[in-house]
Amino acid sequence: MSEVLLVDSVLLFLVTVCAVAIIEVRSLYAVAMLSSVYSLLMALVWTNMHSMDVAFTEAAVGGGISTILLIGTLVHTRRDERPAKRRLHIPALVVTLLTGAALIYGTFDMPRFGDPNATIHHYRVPEMMSQTVAAASGREGKQQPPEGYDPPPRMTPTAAQWAGAVHAIDQAEDALEKAQQNAPGEAHHGGEGEHHEGAHKHPVDDFNGHVPNSVTSLLAAYRGFDTMFETTVIFTAGMALIMLLRRRREEGEDDFSQKGAALSGQVILRVMTKMFIPFILVFGFYVITHGEIGPGGGFQGGVILATAFILYALLYGRNALYRIIRPRTLEILAACGVLLYAGVGVACMLLGGNFLDYAALNTASPGDGEAMGMTLVEYGVGITVCTVMIIIFNQLAEEPSKAKAS
Amino acid sequence: MLWTEIVTAVLLGLGILFSLTGSLGLLRFPDFYSRLHAAGKTDSLAQALILGGLLFVSPDWGVSARLVLIAVLLLFTAPTATHAITKAARLDGLAPWTRLNPKEESKEDAKP
Repeated sequence: MSEVLLVDSVLLFLVTVCAVAIIEVRSLYAVAMLSSVYSLLMALVWTNMHSMDVAFTEAAVGGGISTILLIGTLVHTRRDERPAKRRLHIPALVVTLLTGAALIYGTFDMPRFGDPNATIHHYRVPEMMSQTVAAASGREGKQQPPEGYDPPPRMTPTAAQWAGAVHAIDQAEDALEKAQQNAPGEAHHGGEGEHHEGAHKHPVDDFNGHVPNSVTSLLAAYRGFDTMFETTVIFTAGMALIMLLRRRREEGEDDFSQKGAALSGQVILRVMTKMFIPFILVFGFYVITHGEIGPGGGFQGGVILATAFILYALLYGRNALYRIIRPRTLEILAACGVLLYAGVGVACMLLGGNFLDYAALNTASPGDGEAMGMTLVEYGVGITVCTVMIIIFNQLAEEPSKAKAS
Repeated sequence: MLWTEIVTAVLLGLGILFSLTGSLGLLRFPDFYSRLHAAGKTDSLAQALILGGLLFVSPDWGVSARLVLIAVLLLFTAPTATHAITKAARLDGLAPWTRLNPKEESKEDAKP
């Protein structure tokens, strides 16, 4: 049993325990915390699979902001789940079992984890490696696949071939390890460098100009429309929540000069918050800006930025937050993020490319154009996500009793 | 075996030991406050020991710097979180367990 499998088994067992506990536990606060634990465990599973971007998103969105929002929702509901009648609902059970069976049956068609013959290694990635977004409009800057790269035909291995391939990979890994032990100085500098030196096991990721993180390049360029509409969905959710939960502000409530009484006695928490908010903000901007190079991007960065504002609002009262950013400004900024994303697309069109064809932004060096376009787009996503999260939190944290009175 | 690896093994072992005692305390101590005491104290120390142990086998300065940053961050945030939870319980009127007033335990356990 390999270490990866062992760790995965333990983690997935804990995930199952968490899921069962979420169903069984009555206290809704406990459920909110358990769902946070669930997300953190899933983030570890993703990390174990080396899908850092997914893990990052799961930790930031699932483990971080959704817990805050769930607890915010509890303000509007009861603390405990209403005891339900324990009765077996046969049709529901049948439907659930059938769905589960169908899902498990579906996984039989999926490639094994780490299968070198998986479709992704033969079907999409080689094609993407030989194209950039600029290629569609036939400009210079098309990046060729690496020297001597020959896409192998798709094949279905027999069991013996499969075992042989696994054995060959094991041997190659052993040899690589030995080679690294023989040259310790080199091995320690490995990491990033290795991927470009030819020792890489995967194809080079740098298929989209100057954007080394293939996930960002996929999200922002290859399926840029998807990401744009995902951002629009988040924007729409924020607007819908405002329409559902906003109450009419009473007279004089619009001046946010009076201090809120929120947690005014918590000196230690206040000091720590003030200490950490700058770091949280810097980290959020780093994650957004760095998304094209390492794990991260607009979604994760936006959520981290929102956390700083929510923390401030929690400790110093929402009026203090509103003195920094008016509710109106938040709404306008949320729209501006989507506008920035779509605006980059339109700018590409005006410069002679297709919609969201970032290479058009810099005809002299299409790779740099792509990097710039993706950074701008990530900032658009980040602004929208950040402001919408703050809006949702503020709407959820409105005092429900007053809302009923008005 | 390099001496760095020995240091790492010792520090990791100590860290795991403290995590274990913390978990035991969390399960065995009589009331909310003492349980949180066990969890909070050992968490700060255990993470510092584990990250400090990893520091000795980190391949380059970038990784070391990140480990130190994580350790410092946790050294600040973990006690703050413990403090916040304790203070919330205190403000909520949860009385600490004493030998004279051992009823708290049953009250605490009765809550789901």
